[in-house]
Amino acid sequence: TISGIITERDTGMPIPGANVVIKGTTNGTTTNFDGEYTLDGVNLDDVIVVSYLGFASQEIPFTGQQTINVQLQPDTAVLEEVVLIGYGSTRRQDATGAVEQISTEDFNRGAIVSPEQLIAGKSAGVRITSGNGAPGGGAQIRIRGGSSLSANNDPLIVVDGLPLDQRGVQGVRNQLNAINPNEIEDFVVLKDASATAIYGSRASNGVILITTKKGKRGADLTFEYDLKASVGTVTDYVDVLDAAQFRNIIETTEGTDLGLLGESDTDWQDEIYQTAVGAIHNFTVAQGFENFYYRINYNNTSQTGVLKTDLYERNALNIALNTDLLDNDLKLTLTTKASIDANHFAEQGAIGAAVGFDPTQSVYDATSPFGGFFEFRNANDEALQQATRNPLALLLQRDAEGETKRVISNFNVDYRIPLIEDLRFNLNAGVDYAENDGFSFVPTTAATVIQDIPNQEIYGGFNRNTLLDFYFNYKPYLEAISTNVDLTAGHSFQEFYSTSKSRFTENNVWVERDRSINRNALESYFARASFDILDRYLISASYRMDGSSRFSEKNRWSSFPALSVGWKINNEAFLKDSNTFSELKLRAGYGVTGNQEIGPNYGYINVYTPSAAGASYQFGDRFYRTLRPEEFDADLRWEELQTYNVGLDFGFFSNRFTGSVDAYHRTTDGLLAQVPVPAGSNLSDQLVTNVGETVSKGLEIGLNAGVVRTDKLDWNVNYNITFEDLEITRLDLGNNPGFFIPQGGISGGVGNTIQLWKKGIDPTTFFVYRQVYDQDGQPIEGAYVDVNGDNVITEADRQPYKKGRPDFFMGLTNNFTYKDFDFSFTFRGSFGGYMYNNTQSSTGFRTAGTVTPEAYYSNFNANVLETNFRNSQFFSDYYVRSADFVKLDNVSVGYLIPGEKVDFRASLTATNILTITDYEGLDPEIAGGIDNNFYPRPRTFVLGLNLQF
Amino acid sequence: CESELELSPEDNRQTPGEIFQDAEAYKQFLAKLYAGLAVSGQQGPAGNPDLIGLDEGFSQYLRLYWMLQELPTEEAVIGWNDGTILTLHAQTWTSGNEFIRTMYSRILYQVAQTNAFIRETSDANLNAYGVDQATREEIVKFRAEARFLRALSYYHALDLFGNPPFISENDPVGAFLPEQIQRADLFTFIESELLAIENEMVPARQNEYGRADRAAVWTLLAKLYLNAEEYTGTKRYADVITYSEKVINAGYTLVDDYQKLFLADNNTNGAQNEIIFPIAFDGLETRSFGGMTFIIRAPIGGDMVPAEFGVNSGWGGLRTTPQFVSLFPGGAESQDEREMFFTEGQRLEIRDITRFKDGYAVAKFRNVDSEGNPGSDPTGEHPDTDFPMFRLADVYLMYAEAVLRGGGGSQSQAVSYINELRDRAYESGGTISANDLTLDFILAERGRELYWEAHRRTDLVRFGQFTSQGVWAWKGNVPQGMTTAAFRDLYPIPASDLGVNTNLTQNPGY
Repeated sequence: TISGIITERDTGMPIPGANVVIKGTTNGTTTNFDGEYTLDGVNLDDVIVVSYLGFASQEIPFTGQQTINVQLQPDTAVLEEVVLIGYGSTRRQDATGAVEQISTEDFNRGAIVSPEQLIAGKSAGVRITSGNGAPGGGAQIRIRGGSSLSANNDPLIVVDGLPLDQRGVQGVRNQLNAINPNEIEDFVVLKDASATAIYGSRASNGVILITTKKGKRGADLTFEYDLKASVGTVTDYVDVLDAAQFRNIIETTEGTDLGLLGESDTDWQDEIYQTAVGAIHNFTVAQGFENFYYRINYNNTSQTGVLKTDLYERNALNIALNTDLLDNDLKLTLTTKASIDANHFAEQGAIGAAVGFDPTQSVYDATSPFGGFFEFRNANDEALQQATRNPLALLLQRDAEGETKRVISNFNVDYRIPLIEDLRFNLNAGVDYAENDGFSFVPTTAATVIQDIPNQEIYGGFNRNTLLDFYFNYKPYLEAISTNVDLTAGHSFQEFYSTSKSRFTENNVWVERDRSINRNALESYFARASFDILDRYLISASYRMDGSSRFSEKNRWSSFPALSVGWKINNEAFLKDSNTFSELKLRAGYGVTGNQEIGPNYGYINVYTPSAAGASYQFGDRFYRTLRPEEFDADLRWEELQTYNVGLDFGFFSNRFTGSVDAYHRTTDGLLAQVPVPAGSNLSDQLVTNVGETVSKGLEIGLNAGVVRTDKLDWNVNYNITFEDLEITRLDLGNNPGFFIPQGGISGGVGNTIQLWKKGIDPTTFFVYRQVYDQDGQPIEGAYVDVNGDNVITEADRQPYKKGRPDFFMGLTNNFTYKDFDFSFTFRGSFGGYMYNNTQSSTGFRTAGTVTPEAYYSNFNANVLETNFRNSQFFSDYYVRSADFVKLDNVSVGYLIPGEKVDFRASLTATNILTITDYEGLDPEIAGGIDNNFYPRPRTFVLGLNLQF
Repeated sequence: CESELELSPEDNRQTPGEIFQDAEAYKQFLAKLYAGLAVSGQQGPAGNPDLIGLDEGFSQYLRLYWMLQELPTEEAVIGWNDGTILTLHAQTWTSGNEFIRTMYSRILYQVAQTNAFIRETSDANLNAYGVDQATREEIVKFRAEARFLRALSYYHALDLFGNPPFISENDPVGAFLPEQIQRADLFTFIESELLAIENEMVPARQNEYGRADRAAVWTLLAKLYLNAEEYTGTKRYADVITYSEKVINAGYTLVDDYQKLFLADNNTNGAQNEIIFPIAFDGLETRSFGGMTFIIRAPIGGDMVPAEFGVNSGWGGLRTTPQFVSLFPGGAESQDEREMFFTEGQRLEIRDITRFKDGYAVAKFRNVDSEGNPGSDPTGEHPDTDFPMFRLADVYLMYAEAVLRGGGGSQSQAVSYINELRDRAYESGGTISANDLTLDFILAERGRELYWEAHRRTDLVRFGQFTSQGVWAWKGNVPQGMTTAAFRDLYPIPASDLGVNTNLTQNPGY
């Protein structure tokens, strides 16, 4: 019998739950709460193995000792985790930028189709807002809130070394769907400029590096089958009037004709939604030999939408081949993601139509000439053209399908050059090719068709993104100055080409649209030098020079430098033996990044566009196609973002508690915005040009705690919170303090907008009148605060008020593992953001449904019963409501049954389970802050099965 | 790879160096300048807009011009709730009004496009592009027409805004700050341009249909001189007589039936002999949600039958005020055939401006031909009807007014011109005597003859009846109407342009 105590080397703290086992047997025990153990039946020459998660195991030969005390030290492999950065990698502890890695075990669970959903709520400073509830739909990703106004605010996404086209590819619901979430190894989010500047002109909105899974050298042949079957339902409908309430309001409005009403009681929203079902199948085979290893995955995904007729299907093949040659000096990697993305697109106009359709009418009408659907029509059986269309007919009478075949492939050569130690050459050749075909068809029986032949469109095109880059990396250790040096220099050329063509029917004939072609190219030189001095002081500098075809020769090239420093305080003598700190690093960085996603490809040259069908002009008996000179800005130049970032990374108690805090200040210079140009100075009223400046500031905190770490029970908590502030500090060519640009178009009245860009405020700020309320707190129709005191209410009384962007948001993830059972859930919260309830404002007043251009009425938002507004009050701040929320995004339980040959895991996941909010509309989380005809996000239950053998 | 960064369009877009090798391109570019009045972009009816600041249909030139000329007068009200649209009739607009802003943008857009044409067709450029002599002779006419169209748009700016920014072909294309021009100086510029091109233009009635000729220049000069006192403080009525006589003597004739001027075949049914300068529309080839589509469909609502107007549906917006109805003797039962009110189910009074059935509807413009057949668009969306921007009847009325205002001419001739119009309007007994010919009569007669043809605001301003005098329903935003401040005779310079262009000074009162 032996006994002893197991402690942490660094802290001396006892380790409860550590394993003490005789090697090669099942004879073993675990330590108690005080780290003590007793083990019987030990023979001479036995080897005692002591292990604990996160620590390096130790083996002690039994030579007859009575007491064996063991000090475990943290597993350095964990600490020395390698993190990808642009064109290379670094040890996590040596990173000097704001870099965060999110790996498989941290991912959100469920029937996830779009990769970005894996990391929603997982990282401070990263806000992921799904566009809507459509199957296969994408999300808006904002790293540090985006920095531009009119240029693209999406981060650059680099998949296995290939930067994707930031504008996406045509025809798909979400360009990232080409990457199977099942095959993603990890995401690395580069947030600050010192990390991103190596990507230069595309880095202003952050960079996300996605690495897919590869085979492993020497690994046994494994097969894996994974199934996720899901059902989803709509949790709530827009609150509209039922038939009785509707009839009542028509009756009590002067001048209405009750004869226009029907006799039914139809819940139109109930008619258009359905229970969505889906299945995701993954078959994976992987194997590793000495010099060659591979992983092949086949994925089949099929999801119907909660909106009837909506369907998303994906068939994808992921192949990763690796071979190591010349004594491992030459590593070749080929990754290929081939997918066929097929969609049936539901007519989303049905959502608004269902909210607005007269509930006293029935869905079907035996006498209807419109395929048996009820439609408003005149005595000649012609559809009233201005009337709301039958929502179900909009869905069922339209066939719109599209398919995108896509290959993303990257070939990587990594060669350790002989003769010169520590010198590597890396070459990347990549292509992303996506070919799109689709059509839509609406038969002549549909009320929306006013020509004698069906409404049809056939379209197709392709996107091609080609990349060739290479770099040299030299990584010597300079003994003399105790410094690790890491030098990288390289060159990159990337070209984006897209073309599309379509034809459609109009006025009883087919019309051909001219083929459109767009091309742009980017050439770059980049270099980075990093120094780790005495394992304590880190200095890293990078430089990139980008040339873009989108700018004139004069403005074509721009430099994007960055400098960052780090201090690994925990390696200083005074902390080296600390029992508390296992990691403490202070970081600071500065860098310049750019944004070249400005919209037009040829914005700096004078281009003439011929007119298409229907825009010719008559001279004599002939109609001439016209030629239009387009607006341009010969001086168009890069948008540049300067970022200052300071950060602190810390880890306590052998990194059981870790965290990071980052604070940043960013200034966008030469802000690209689509702004009104001085009238007459150019060939349009607005121009994309460099006019403004924005300043953003933020604080990001990420914390991770291994609350319990025992052999049987592991409980990990991850929390992150982000504070963000974005302000426009300059916007116009002059300097007029009252100048603003209307933004945020709303439904109800053409040309109405509810937000504004103005100096001194957030670009999602609302622009409203201040509503006056009566003693009972009821809004008084048309009564607004006369802000400027001139006794009339004019546009001058409209004020900036609240904003769509939250002040802060957070994510909280819990992962429990108990033996073979696991349980996890994720909360997300957002605070300080507001939403304009356009669903209420566009139909929540009496004349909305009664003053119609033809003989029909349309339904109201139930809010009309509260306000009793007679006329539209679009610009009342009454409709601007707090959109604070806490969402329980995701709850998952799983159970693993290890078998002799087959491991079997079953799981049950529910997503979008609970939303805690005061917001009255369907969903408080809508990108942009305007709630109107939102495609509801379903609540989904997912059954998962996984077999490995 | 650096040469790979020198890219230019590879599809149907082209750079000037490529496109202007082709002689046909000049005429296509000229067509754009005319189309700028008719459509809203490079794809009909919508889809590749010229302007971005406002919804494409709303931003169309004629639609905006019509709205700014008609909505603030007794001739028209609109019942929609789009943005600040209701402030136009109420005369409570501010410098933030998006319709005023977009008209201003549209006018200067048109000026910038015409400048580009004039610049591109300079001798130096034509030499560089290697254009042959025959084509160059054509281009001389094109250039004159481009200058006419520029003068026309500047005339609209002069009339609506007074002191707009001024740009010419000598200015660059960029993001510079144009200088503001004073109203009198702009008057002089327009006048000098029109006089300069007079003889370069194709003689009256000799050009292709749709293109401006010398008579269009004369008519514009007559309009300029008629309002000269308002624009410059100096009377120029004698010049009105000169140029209206030139038009009248050029061989134009009144069409027999007034209604024909406003039908789908008004380019062939005889009305083309009265119309001096049309904006041409076509249901298939020249389509827009502004222009004639707006002018025909926005007034259709209530019990009106869209098919009778050759369209598939109405938009239920435009009506008229009781004060305008009363301009016709007998109101809606008038013997005057120019009275085309639709009254069935409509109430004369306007209690609620948003309700289509309040106020009589106006059934003047239609997309059916003289035989009653609908226009060419089989879907009934867009009309063939052309807009009669300048027509002989207007010139007759200008002549008569100039005579009354002391410009010379002949009073008996004036009476005879007016009686030509009256004879057409009445089966019998419409004619007037010399004593009846007064300025008050002229203003009323211009209303009866030219209503809804985008003249009214200019006329009311000239007669001092637009703001501080003259009352009609909902003027001043009260049901019975009230007078408003005189500064509203001019529209404001849009706040957005004052914001970006520090060279500009706002018009007084705003």
